[in-house]
Amino acid sequence: MNSRFLPGAVFAGALILAAWPALSPAPKTGFDVEAFGRLPILEGGRVKPLDTFARNSLLMIRSKQSVRVQGRSLPATRWLLDVALKPEASDEYRSFVIDDPEVLGVLGLDQRQGRYFSYAQLLAKRNEVGGQAQASQTVAATARTRFQRAVIDLDQRLSLYERIQNAFTPAGRGDPAAELAAFQAKLSEAMEVVQGGQRPKNAAALMGEIDAGLRRYATLAEASAFKILPPRSGEGEAAWAGLAESVVRPGAAAEPHPGAMLVARMASSYRSGDAAAFGAALAEQNAWLSANAPALARGARVEAVFNRAQPFFSGIVLYVLALLLIFASWAARRPDVASCARACAWAAFTVHTAGLLARTALQGRPPVTNLYSSAVFVGWGSALLGLIAERVHRRGFAAAGASTVGFATLLIAHHLSSSGDTMEMMRAVLDSNFWLATHVITVTVGYSGTYLAGLLAIVWIARRQVLRAPDPADDKALSSLTYGVIAFGLFFSFLGTVLGGIWADQSWGRFWGWDPKENGALLIVLWNALILHMRWAGFVRDRGIMLMAVFGNVITSASWFGVNMLGIGLHSYGFMDSAFWWLLAFSVSQLLIIILGALPPRFWDERDKRA
Amino acid sequence: MRRRNFIGRAGEFLSSMELTVFCIVALMILVVACTLAQVQLGVHLAVEKYIRSFFVWWNPGQGAVSIPIFPGGGAVGGLLLANLGMAQFRRLELSWRKAGLWIVHFGLALLFIGEFATAFFQVESHLTIEEGQTVDFTEDFRRMELAVIDVSDPSSEEVRSIPDSMLRSRAEIAHASLPFVLRVRGFIDNAELSMRSAGSPPSGATAGVGVDVVARQVAPASGEDRDVPAALIEPVAADARSYGVFLVSPALGAPQGFTHAGRSWRLALRPRRYPLPFTLTLKDFRHDVYPGTDIPKNFSSQVRLRDPRSGDDRDVLIYMNSPLRHDGLTFYQSSFGKNDTLSVLQVVRNPSWTLPYISCILVTIGLLWHFVLMLRRTLGAAA
Repeated sequence: MNSRFLPGAVFAGALILAAWPALSPAPKTGFDVEAFGRLPILEGGRVKPLDTFARNSLLMIRSKQSVRVQGRSLPATRWLLDVALKPEASDEYRSFVIDDPEVLGVLGLDQRQGRYFSYAQLLAKRNEVGGQAQASQTVAATARTRFQRAVIDLDQRLSLYERIQNAFTPAGRGDPAAELAAFQAKLSEAMEVVQGGQRPKNAAALMGEIDAGLRRYATLAEASAFKILPPRSGEGEAAWAGLAESVVRPGAAAEPHPGAMLVARMASSYRSGDAAAFGAALAEQNAWLSANAPALARGARVEAVFNRAQPFFSGIVLYVLALLLIFASWAARRPDVASCARACAWAAFTVHTAGLLARTALQGRPPVTNLYSSAVFVGWGSALLGLIAERVHRRGFAAAGASTVGFATLLIAHHLSSSGDTMEMMRAVLDSNFWLATHVITVTVGYSGTYLAGLLAIVWIARRQVLRAPDPADDKALSSLTYGVIAFGLFFSFLGTVLGGIWADQSWGRFWGWDPKENGALLIVLWNALILHMRWAGFVRDRGIMLMAVFGNVITSASWFGVNMLGIGLHSYGFMDSAFWWLLAFSVSQLLIIILGALPPRFWDERDKRA
Repeated sequence: MRRRNFIGRAGEFLSSMELTVFCIVALMILVVACTLAQVQLGVHLAVEKYIRSFFVWWNPGQGAVSIPIFPGGGAVGGLLLANLGMAQFRRLELSWRKAGLWIVHFGLALLFIGEFATAFFQVESHLTIEEGQTVDFTEDFRRMELAVIDVSDPSSEEVRSIPDSMLRSRAEIAHASLPFVLRVRGFIDNAELSMRSAGSPPSGATAGVGVDVVARQVAPASGEDRDVPAALIEPVAADARSYGVFLVSPALGAPQGFTHAGRSWRLALRPRRYPLPFTLTLKDFRHDVYPGTDIPKNFSSQVRLRDPRSGDDRDVLIYMNSPLRHDGLTFYQSSFGKNDTLSVLQVVRNPSWTLPYISCILVTIGLLWHFVLMLRRTLGAAA
């Protein structure tokens, strides 16, 4: 076969594989839940499609983007509609993941029943969980026990679930459209009374009913999860409202939001199982949206496609595929397989890039805004560097390194995403696109460089100590590559760190405050500088540099995630606690690799002699 | 001859790569220790202990004896700076090939000097201001002063400020501008005040609001909390007549004082005040949130700056990432309160604030220069 054709085919095939979820049309039978998921809503201060909120909520509650019901996988939007409008059925769905044995003890459940539990199972102890969580909240965040953290977490997930239940109608029950119609009829009756100037006999009763209705809607407005009615023309961003909220807004009696009745009709028809009526109301709502808020509707549609495409998940798959192909090419010593592996790695990188660009465009911000996006970007930077290095030394090491970091960081990002909306709004102090684009990007590129250097060093150690494939030309290529990447990492981590200092000078009044995150960044700079000085002074040679580069992985990880686990400092907005053991395990693995690399090569030779 | 040899050897040591490596490693250890210590000590004390010190002291068993166990940030930084300077002239040849490294090292030296200058010269204080209020001083919450105020003339108060360090070290304070002496009857670094219950021993104060208040010594504040000191002060007239012992503390809000020779005096232990030669008036404070959430979107203070010396009389908007720089001071939006009608600005005087900017540019240029040269050489060798 043509040696040019095969890699090209692999590249194209991989891209088609990645694009498949976005291209394949959803089966259109019954309720058009997909189209409902594309409706724009306001939640967490950001306009997003309902689909994003449904996925993030399910991720937070269940750590997955779908739920299995009677052997079928229910997509997130469907789950959300069921929770909000069919509580009789959905309360039995196993929507909650609970791993903490002590929390299960409070609930009177145990792990033999599995990890997933339904709302109905938790309902009896709902008040107990709320009370325990409230008591735990009084303990300082850093001093909380595992149980206290877990019970607060469960309480928050339960409230989120309950706010979804209250999205359209109290606890998901009743007939929202009929109730709204009845209430609006009463309102217009009252308006006629006021305008006509006459007092009918039942005026007091009518006012009482309206007052009761208003109070009911006001309570519901407080308790519901999101705002689904966009501002009408001439209204500002603050005019976003939920169904109930729009009813109690001043002026709603004279001029009700046209979408309110449509949403109520969708809710009622979903509840009664009338797919045709649901579709009709949805079509009307979409028509109103494209006439009155076309930009919002378009943005939500694009984001919904991005959600469906899941580029970072495809990226993970393709990076693994590329890695396997590289291993195969080394085992089989076939250059054509190596070319295919490179093509596959480039395809993975292309998908990764597309996802990154899409996120940047959707958010209207530089690519790194939180811990999640930093993971995506560190992986992207390392992969790019590695693939460029691979073009210089076409031996597969750099491509293997690129694929491993790409895969690992996307996996980390995937696990970080369960803490909520990954495109959350920026807090005031971080709200500066200029500094996000300069300081944050350069620091993250610095991380990328240090990780890639560490990874190349691991490849070097593995070849020398495990595979025992000493090829002087390969070794030389690897060590000059590693050296270059360390220099690259030093440059960017220094620049990023100092830019961070300048940002701090602009916003907090001091260039350097010895804050944990700043210290972490400084450690990376110092370590890279140390490696280079040790080499220039001749204190270490190839192997020493390699061992130090592996330790750079530990330092970078500690600086990236470890300092967040201290739970202190000005940068602790990316707080996380469960990942501590992963960090520890990773550090230990790196230390073991360093020990392996430090063993004299003769150690192996002697074993050979004895054998 | 031996002497020269010694100087030569010292120079060699100071310019050696071994010293560079030692300093970098020591700095890394200090940074790690400082970071971990922040969980217990809070950032301010941790930095004082590990970074802004010449030695890290260890105090075994709470005794009076402390042992230096590790060079502190000041010593390591100083050594590194000396090393950088010496190595520059002794080792590095002056050539285009090494020009990048020259620039890098010069930039780094500036960065170190900047950090030293910051440690010595930076003064931080706060300016608390309510909407409509005009303020011409800032307050330093880390340092206290005993303000002795002549309030006889309500239109112009005369203030004598006595730093808290004097209260700690002296038993009696006399000053030419004061017609009486102040006896320090007690000083508590960090006090917890409580109302005195009936039948409990007297508080030590015999005049003012302190009679009914007990001040108890508690452990030094950790984390971001600050110590709240208290002192027992007894003003004594020249004829040895006492005006009673007053308990003063920033935690006591009520004014207390006495009358001496027909003039009214007030005593207060309060955050030290630095006068400003200009005034700021808060016109409006804004605290915007993202719609439907409590996530802060922006904090901003619109102030009127009036400076008769420079003729400034203009509106300034201070908000996140956009401070006001005026007269060597920088005002940053720091905090807020009183239902969004009160704004707290952090005020920093740091004469060396531009050094990091210059250093950053120099090091960036230097590193780029050096690494591009290196890359060209590597690629040249590979080709």
